[in-house]
Amino acid sequence: MSHVIQPVGPSPLKARLLLIVEDEPQISRAVRNALNDGADRIIEAANGRSGIDQAAAEQPDLVVLDLGLPDLPGIEVCREIRRWAEMPIVVLSARHSEHEKVQLLNAGADDYVTKPFSTLEFAARIQAHLRRSLSHRGETSPILEATGGLTLDFARRSVSRRGIPVRLTPTEWEILQALARQSNRTLTHQQIFDRVWGKNAGNPQQYLRVHITNLRRKIEEDPARPQFVVTDPGVGYRFELPE
Amino acid sequence: MPGWSVIRAWVLWVVVLLAVTVVMHSAREDMEQAHVVLVYLLVVLGGSVSGGRSLGLAIACAGFILIDYYFQPPYDTLSVGKPLDWLVLLAFLATAAVTTQLLTLARTEAAEAKRRAQEIGSLARLGSEALNAGPAEEALAKIAQVIRTTLGVEECEIHRWDGSQVVPGTSHRSSGDGAEPSIVDVSNAVTLTAQSAGPEDQPGAPTPGEVDPRKLDLVRVTHDGASSVLVPLTVHSRTVGVLRLTDSAPISVDAEKRRFLAALAYYAALGVERVALVAEAEHAEALREADRLRDVLIASLSHDLRTPLTAIKAAAQQQKGHSEGAEIIVQQADVLSRLVGDLLDWSRIKAGAFPLSLELNTADDLLGAVTRQFSDRATLKIDIDWNQPALVGRFDFLQALRILTNLVENALRYSPLECAVELGVRRERDALLFTVSDRGPGVALAERERIFEPFYRPVAAIPDAARAGLGLSIARQLAEIQGGALTFSVRPDGGSVFTLRLPAADVSATLGEASL
Repeated sequence: MSHVIQPVGPSPLKARLLLIVEDEPQISRAVRNALNDGADRIIEAANGRSGIDQAAAEQPDLVVLDLGLPDLPGIEVCREIRRWAEMPIVVLSARHSEHEKVQLLNAGADDYVTKPFSTLEFAARIQAHLRRSLSHRGETSPILEATGGLTLDFARRSVSRRGIPVRLTPTEWEILQALARQSNRTLTHQQIFDRVWGKNAGNPQQYLRVHITNLRRKIEEDPARPQFVVTDPGVGYRFELPE
Repeated sequence: MPGWSVIRAWVLWVVVLLAVTVVMHSAREDMEQAHVVLVYLLVVLGGSVSGGRSLGLAIACAGFILIDYYFQPPYDTLSVGKPLDWLVLLAFLATAAVTTQLLTLARTEAAEAKRRAQEIGSLARLGSEALNAGPAEEALAKIAQVIRTTLGVEECEIHRWDGSQVVPGTSHRSSGDGAEPSIVDVSNAVTLTAQSAGPEDQPGAPTPGEVDPRKLDLVRVTHDGASSVLVPLTVHSRTVGVLRLTDSAPISVDAEKRRFLAALAYYAALGVERVALVAEAEHAEALREADRLRDVLIASLSHDLRTPLTAIKAAAQQQKGHSEGAEIIVQQADVLSRLVGDLLDWSRIKAGAFPLSLELNTADDLLGAVTRQFSDRATLKIDIDWNQPALVGRFDFLQALRILTNLVENALRYSPLECAVELGVRRERDALLFTVSDRGPGVALAERERIFEPFYRPVAAIPDAARAGLGLSIARQLAEIQGGALTFSVRPDGGSVFTLRLPAADVSATLGEASL
């Protein structure tokens, strides 16, 4: 599987293998057309079981998974693949349900795209996931420089804006760190909660949004139009970094 | 229980008395007075045994007179010769009376014991029927049958009381099984009984008005020649139903029978309660099933509509640049998708099936999410006091976002381009007030409430096929199901202000933390 270990070069999106798990031929064709330019090879599975089998056999670089499969609930397929593989899983759903989105992200999906989707935006998101998953194979850097002069120093647990230290509470720091370590990826409220307070904590989860608000007031240029800590309504939050 | 057997006993023992008298009279010269008295005592005993106390006492009195008249000198007169003869006569009378009394007592006690045994037998049978029968209705029918046969009445009906009215239950008649419950009769009977009906017997005087079985103890009704007894059925002092016994002959309810009836009624009440519980469980199950079906339907409907829309949109996007219509197709696919979503949501709110997650949220977060939806519109101005601690409320973030997005979209559509739409928030007592203010044409007085009605389009509305006229209606309902409100007011110096009111919450600003 040379394409997996191929070093990230000037054309990092070539020699990529994508798996599309989709039972509707029209959607499958639309997805394939949208992704043709970004992948060398696209394989397809028409149901959940063969999707899991193909993912195991071919080790694709990314999986596009439709939720309305005839044999298995999409979330089961997602969970199963996530048990042994780390490639990005992008879910396609016909339901505009944040609850479903939360469940899928908690089950290990990386992104969630609702139908009808814009093919351009869809392709862009797939490319971003591919790029990130391949460049993040190494260690994350101890210092993160965001736009607008925001700097996070993970080793010193400190934040500064334009060189001026920002005073955060321990909880605010933990939240910021959890989000920034997986920048551009939405973490559900539950995921943030587990990372910051631990699975056995009481129920300070309800205060998460208040902490986020206080955090934004400290690090955002204009807290009414947040640029770093962005709300994914009904789902969670993500730390946005220009790619 | 006067009947043929009693009359027969009287006739028989009067004849015996006369025969004994005739026989002894013919031999009175050879007989001693003690023998005569003994023979008469035997007759008294016999009469008491077969005819009861009254026959015994009657024979005793007759014997007293016959002994005096025929067998005590001077013969054939009622006068008594020697004082010792008085002693004989009085001893006879006393002995006869006492034995008669004792015999009667023993007989009554034996009858009572037999009745108790029967009652216990019936209750045991009732208990086992109630426990053994499978479905709850079947058990209730069995109970009705046992009660009817035990009490020997023509019909026994058991009906449920659901708190406001009698629900038809089961009925058992002597003429055969499976008779239709005559609920009309019961309702009539219940109606006929007086509101304040106590344990006293009631003539069937019609009293208008519904009767609440809770007020009944035990009511007797006679109407249309039939006699009925109504017994309320209670479990844990809660009335669950009514038991009705009907017979063409008057049904007597003495203290004993009342006690027994209470025991029977308890079993009937348990049976009724069981039927009610089973019905309730089935109802809940049916509701769950209906909920599930509706969810499946909504999900599949939205899936079925969105899948072709996705294909249409994807196909059109490929044609972009080649064809002028492609862009329109893409836009209209979005419009259609949104309409589908609005219609589905509206029907779910209507059906009371809209899922809400009321959580602690901040006004900052909500307004931030709103502005993000209009990121390329510089004409949106945010009014938050950053010097104050964050405002916190308890509401559904998504739905609040949806309401505000809808209001801002409307405001942007109607507002002149050079005027910013203002989005503000403040706390007022127990509420957060989010305001969306524009400098548009405002809303005519007559339409200020109607704009919140579903499918209503204001006369001056900008023609727009993309909207079903549901936006403000959905927005207001979404506000209300969260315990909030959505109102319109006129903006000073022109324009409109829409105010979304949501419940506020109090949270300590520091959340108990110090800075790093």
